[in-house]
Amino acid sequence: MNQQSHPGASVGGGGFVPNPRQEMEYICADCGAKNEIKSREPIRCRECGHRIMYKKRTKRMVQFEAR
Amino acid sequence: MPNGSDRQKRKPTFNTLEREESFKNPSKNASTYPILNEFVTPHIESFNALFDDSGLPKGDGNGKGLLSLGIKDIGERVVFDGTGEVGTESGQTGWGNRLSIWIEEVSIAPPRVPDRDTWSTERRVYPAEARERLTSYRGRMQAKVCWKINEETHPDQCVMRDCGLIPIMIRSIRCHLRGLPSSELVRRHEEPEEFGGYFIINGNERLIRYLILPRRNHVISLLRPSFANRGPSYTQYAVQIRCARLDQSSITNTLHYLSNGSAMLRFSLRKQEYVIPIMLILKALIGASDREIFEYVIMQDYENTFLTDRVELLLRSFKMYSLYTGDQCLEYLGDKFRVVLGMPEDWTNQALGAWLIQKMVLVHLEEPRDKFRMLVFMLRKLYSLVSGSCCADNPDSPQHQEVLLPGYLYGMIIKERLEEALNQARNQIATDVRRAEPPPDFLDKRYIMKVIQKVNWDVGAKMSNFLATGNLVSPTGLDLQQASGFTIVAEKLNWLRYISHFRCIHRGAFFAELKTTTVRKLLPEAWGFLCPVHTPDGSPCGLLNHLSRTCRIVTTPLAVSHVPALLAAHGMTQPFSTSIDGRRNFCVQLDGRVIGWARPAVAKQLADNLRVWKTEGSHKVPLDLEIGYVSESKGGQYPGLFLFSTRARMMRPVRFLANGRDDQVGSFEQVYMNIAVKPDEIESGVTTHVEHAPTNFLSILANLTPFSNFNQSPRNIYQCQMGKQTMGTPSTARQHRTDNKLYQLQTGQSPVVRPRLHNTYAMDAFPNGTNAIVAVISYTGYDMEDAMILNKSSHERGFGYGTVYKSQIIDLKDMRGASKSTSAPTIHFGLGYDIKTEEGDRQHPCMGFLDKDGLPYTGMKLDSGDPIAAYVDDTTGRTKFVKYKGDEQGIVDEVRLLGSDTGDTELQKLHITLRITRSPVIGDKFSSRHGQKGVCSQKWPAVDMPFTESGMQPDVIINPHAFPSRMTIGMLVESMAGKSGAMHGLAQDGTPFEFSEEDRAIDYFGDQLLAAGYNYYGNEPMYSGITGEEFAADIYIGVVYYQRLRHMVLDKFQVRTTGPVDSVTRQPVKGRKRAGGIRFGEMERDALIAHGTSFLLQDRLMNCSDYSTTWVCRTCGSIISLGYDDLSLGEVSSTGTMKAAGPGGEYCRVCRTTAQGEDERARRALGNDQNQNGGLHPEVTVAIPASHVLGSSRKGGDMDVVAVPYVFRYLCAELAAMGIAVSLEVR
Repeated sequence: MNQQSHPGASVGGGGFVPNPRQEMEYICADCGAKNEIKSREPIRCRECGHRIMYKKRTKRMVQFEAR
Repeated sequence: MPNGSDRQKRKPTFNTLEREESFKNPSKNASTYPILNEFVTPHIESFNALFDDSGLPKGDGNGKGLLSLGIKDIGERVVFDGTGEVGTESGQTGWGNRLSIWIEEVSIAPPRVPDRDTWSTERRVYPAEARERLTSYRGRMQAKVCWKINEETHPDQCVMRDCGLIPIMIRSIRCHLRGLPSSELVRRHEEPEEFGGYFIINGNERLIRYLILPRRNHVISLLRPSFANRGPSYTQYAVQIRCARLDQSSITNTLHYLSNGSAMLRFSLRKQEYVIPIMLILKALIGASDREIFEYVIMQDYENTFLTDRVELLLRSFKMYSLYTGDQCLEYLGDKFRVVLGMPEDWTNQALGAWLIQKMVLVHLEEPRDKFRMLVFMLRKLYSLVSGSCCADNPDSPQHQEVLLPGYLYGMIIKERLEEALNQARNQIATDVRRAEPPPDFLDKRYIMKVIQKVNWDVGAKMSNFLATGNLVSPTGLDLQQASGFTIVAEKLNWLRYISHFRCIHRGAFFAELKTTTVRKLLPEAWGFLCPVHTPDGSPCGLLNHLSRTCRIVTTPLAVSHVPALLAAHGMTQPFSTSIDGRRNFCVQLDGRVIGWARPAVAKQLADNLRVWKTEGSHKVPLDLEIGYVSESKGGQYPGLFLFSTRARMMRPVRFLANGRDDQVGSFEQVYMNIAVKPDEIESGVTTHVEHAPTNFLSILANLTPFSNFNQSPRNIYQCQMGKQTMGTPSTARQHRTDNKLYQLQTGQSPVVRPRLHNTYAMDAFPNGTNAIVAVISYTGYDMEDAMILNKSSHERGFGYGTVYKSQIIDLKDMRGASKSTSAPTIHFGLGYDIKTEEGDRQHPCMGFLDKDGLPYTGMKLDSGDPIAAYVDDTTGRTKFVKYKGDEQGIVDEVRLLGSDTGDTELQKLHITLRITRSPVIGDKFSSRHGQKGVCSQKWPAVDMPFTESGMQPDVIINPHAFPSRMTIGMLVESMAGKSGAMHGLAQDGTPFEFSEEDRAIDYFGDQLLAAGYNYYGNEPMYSGITGEEFAADIYIGVVYYQRLRHMVLDKFQVRTTGPVDSVTRQPVKGRKRAGGIRFGEMERDALIAHGTSFLLQDRLMNCSDYSTTWVCRTCGSIISLGYDDLSLGEVSSTGTMKAAGPGGEYCRVCRTTAQGEDERARRALGNDQNQNGGLHPEVTVAIPASHVLGSSRKGGDMDVVAVPYVFRYLCAELAAMGIAVSLEVR
C-alpha cells in the first residue's frame, strides 16, 4: 500500500517533521462539487455555500473476507 | 418460446418493470403513491391550520389561522402607572395612566439560512440538511407587540419581537417540501414517497402522537363513585362537556348533582378547580327570573314530581345567597374572582363576572342566551340521569371521543407561551411602577420597548423542548390529563413501522396507570375507526391503538351556519319558542348549541333528510357533517338529534344504500346505524349503508397479512407486532440519513402472495422479507420448539442477509479540554506534530486508519478499539484519538463533516456511519407473516436437506407442531398460494374475506397446483437427504414469505467467565454492555437449595462471585479489628511487654486493647497491694517469634482466616460505622 506517500503529504525523511497545514478534498453534500478545505477552515462549499461535506472514498485497498 | 404472442396477452401481475421505471424516473408532477399523502393529512392539515394562509376552506369562520385566533383570545394586558390623583378622571382611586399591551400578530417563516451567511446560493433550508447536520428544522417566529396609553392608539407604538426558531412540520405549508413531486423530492435528498407530518429535532424525526380526548361540545353523563368524595352532599352523578374554542383550546365544564337536588358547575382555572352553584351562572347569564328558570328546566312536564321537586329545591337553596338579579350575580362572581383573574384593576366586578363566564363557562358558545339554553339542557340531562330515565354514557367508547391533533396541540402551546410572555411584560412594568426609582414613564417609547425586549419571548426553545422530550410545561395544563408522553420518535426501522407511527392513537398516559382494564377493552363502537388487530400486547395493549385504514380525521372547517335555518324550514321548532313540551320533543343541537326542538318523528325525518342532502351535496350540507339521531329508549342514551361539524372527529367512508353515494360516517352516529359489511348481508328496511370493502376495519398493517381471516386472531396481532420489528428496507434515501441504527435487508423480495393493498401502500418499494420454500416436516430434531432449519446453501445465496448501519457522532464540543466559551475552539480534528505520519517503521499505528485530516478513510474496516478520529488540543499540543467502541467489525460507510448553521466555523462535529454486516447465524429470529416466529437452530448443508421428486430442496424447515395449537391456517393457505403463484408467475391475491364456504381457498389454489402438475393439497413425496429414502408421509411444501426480525444473537448474547467487578461489592457487574454477568437470583438460588446441590451453590454464589478471605478474631469474633505487628524487625517492645500476636504478626486490636487495659488494672491493683512490683517486668526482653510463645492467644493474638463473601465484609464495615459490632463465632 503506497498511497501514503501522496505528493505533498509530508516532506519525507526521518526526523521530526511538523505536519504542514493539510489540504483535503471533500465533496459537497448538496451540489457534489469537490472542495479543497484546509484544516481549521470553515466547512462550507465554495460553489453553493452548503454546510455538509462528505469525505471521499479511500483509494486504499480494503480487503474483505467473503464469509 | 417459439410463439411470444401467447405470453404478451398476459397482464403482468408483479409490475416489476413499471416499478423499475418509477424508481429510475420518479414522477415529475405528483407523488408515486398518493395514498401515502392522504393518511398523514390530519397531521399536516392540523399544522397548516395554525396559519392564516393555510389553504383550508374558511368554513363559517373568517379564515384566520389558529394562532391569530389564539392571540385574539389572549386579549390585552393592562397596567397603571399610579400617577393619577385620587378622585380625578384618570382613575378614581389613583390609577393614573392606563397602559394596555397586546400581541397584534405573529408570523412564522419557513426555515431559511441566517442572514449572516452571505455565501449560500440556496437560501432555503431543506429537511435533509437538518437531518444530516443533526439540527432541527426550524423557522423564525416573530410577534408584533403593540401598546396604547389611555386607549389612544398610535402607529408607532408597535415593536416586532423575535420569538426564536420554531420547529416546522415537514411538508406543511411552512416547509419547502410542500407539494413537491417525487422527482423534486429525490433531488432534495428525500424519499420519493416522503409524506412528512413530523418534525426534525436534533436530527431525529419526532412526531406528536394522536391522543384520544372526550368529544368536544357534547354533553356526556357520567356515573363515577369517586365524585361522591368531592365534598359533602356530592353524589356520583355528573354531566360533563368539553368545550372547544375557535382556536381549538378547550375547557371542561362538569355539572355535579348534589344530594339536595341542586347542581354545581365545576371548571378549572390554572390547574385550580372551582365550583359555582349552577343557579348563580344561570342568573348571571341572562338575568333569568326564578320562574323563567323553572319553566325552562321543567318544559311543561309539571306532572314529573321528580323534576319539579328538584328544581324547587334548586331555586329555594339559592335564596340564601340573596342575589336576585343577573347583575347582582355578576357582581358577586366578579368580587370573588377578582384576584384570581388578574384582569385590569379598573374593571368593575360586573365586568369581571361577565368575563369569567365568557372565558370559563361553555366557551364554545358566544351568546349568553346560547350558554343558558345549553346549561339548562345539561341540567335536564343530569336530572334525567339521576332519575334513571337515561343511562350514563361510556367515556371509553369512541362514540364520545375525538382526537387531539398535533397541530392543534402545537397551537395551544404557542398560544400559552405568548400569553405567558405578555403576562411577564405586564408584571415587569407593574414591578417597575412599584419599585423603580424614578418610576417609569409610560409615554417613553424606549422604556416600553426595553421591557418587551427584557421579557423572555423564546417560544422556539420551548417548542423544541416540547418536541424533543414530549413534556408539556404548562401553567394551565391545557385541559389535558397528562403532562408528558406527547411525542414519539418516528423510527425508520422498516416501512411498516414507520407508517404505523402516523396512524397510532393513544388513549392517554393517565389510563396506562389505571388498574382496571375497562379502558383497554375493544368496544363494538370502535368498528371501522380503531383497528381491533393492530395493538401491541403487553402493558400498552388496548391503550395504544391504530386507526383503521379508511378512518379519516376531519381537519377542514365546515360551513354549517345555514343548517339551523334549513332545519327550521323543515319542521324544527325554534329554540326561543316558549311552549315546548320537554316530554314530547327532542333537543336538536349543532356542535353543542341548542338550535331547536323537534318531535321524535320530525327529528328522525330531519336526520334522514340531512343524510340525503349531505350525500348528494344539496342545500350546501357538507359531507362531513355528523348526524347523530339518538332515538327514544327506556333507560338508554339520552335522546336527541346531535349534529357535529367540528374538526378532529373520526369519520369513515361507507356507501349510502338509498342513493348509492359515498357517505362519511362518524363514530357518534355509527352506533345508531345499520351498516352491512358485505353486500349480501343487506337486509332491506334495516340496513342503510354498506362497507366499501370488508377489510376496511383493519389498519394498514393488519390489512397486509395475507389470508388473515383464516388465522386465529391473536396470531394476527402478533404479526402486526413482528411486521414492525422486521429487518426490511427502511429508506431508499439511506445515504442521506443519520439514524442511530438502521437495519437493511439486502435481499428483499416482493411477496408472491400479497393482499391488494400491498401495492397501494408502496410495499414493493420497501421490501420486507424473502419468499422462502418452506417444508413442514419434523426432520432432524433441530426444529423442535419453534426452531427452524435454514438451508445452508440458500443462506449462502443471500437468504435473509442483512446489514446494520450505526451512527457515531463525534462532537469536539463535548470532549475534555474543550473551551466552554463560544469563541474560537481550542481543539481541532487532525493529527498533531506528535504523530509521525510518513511511512516507515516508526510510523504511528493510527495511520492505518486515519487520513491526514484526522478522519477515518471512508471504506476502512475497523475493529474494536481502532482509532476512528484524531484531534489535537491546542493547549497541550497533543493528539488524542476517539476509538471505535463496538465488538463487531465495522466498515466506515460515510464520513460527514458537519458545518455550523451559518457555515462560518471550522470542523467541530463529525458524523460517521458504520456498516456492520449481519449474515444470518444460528440464533437469529425469523417469522412468517402469520405470527409464527422461530429461531434458526441449524444451517443444514444442502446435501443433507430433504428433496422433492423434482429435486427441489426447502430453504426453511419448520416443525408441524407449530400449527395445531396456533391454528394459523392462513400460513398454510399462503404456502399453497405461493407455490402455485410461483409456478404460474402470478402475484396471488391474499386479501382476507375473499373466499367463502362455497368458494373455498383450498379449491382455488388446489386447482392451480393441479394445473402446475402438483398435488392438489400441496403435499409432495419427499426423500431424506441423508438416506435417500422416501418419507412415509407426503410433506407439505410451498412458498411462504419470511421476515427476518431484528432480534439477533449478536446483539443479545451474554457470556462471561471473569470480568469487571463492582468496586464496592466486588461482585460481577451487570449489563451486557459492560461485559457483566447474568444475575443468579433468589429464585435460582432456591432451585439449587431444593436440589441439594450445595457444591454448585457454593461455586455460583461464592467462588465465582465475590470470594474473599478475612481474618477473624476467635476471641471477640470481629473481622474488622485486624492489626499487624511487623515481625521482620524482631519484636522489641518499648514498654517491654510481650504482645500477643499470630504467626504473621496479626492480632486483634480490640482484644489486645482490652487485654492491656486489664493488665494495667491488674498492675494497679497489684501496685496498691504491694509497693514493690514483682516479676512482672522482666529486666531483659528477648525477641521470640510469637508462634513460639505459648498462651499468646489471650490478649488478642488468636486470629483465624475464614472465607466469606466480600459484601459481608463490606456489610460489617458499614454496620460498624453505625455502631453495630458483628461478631462471628468460629468453630
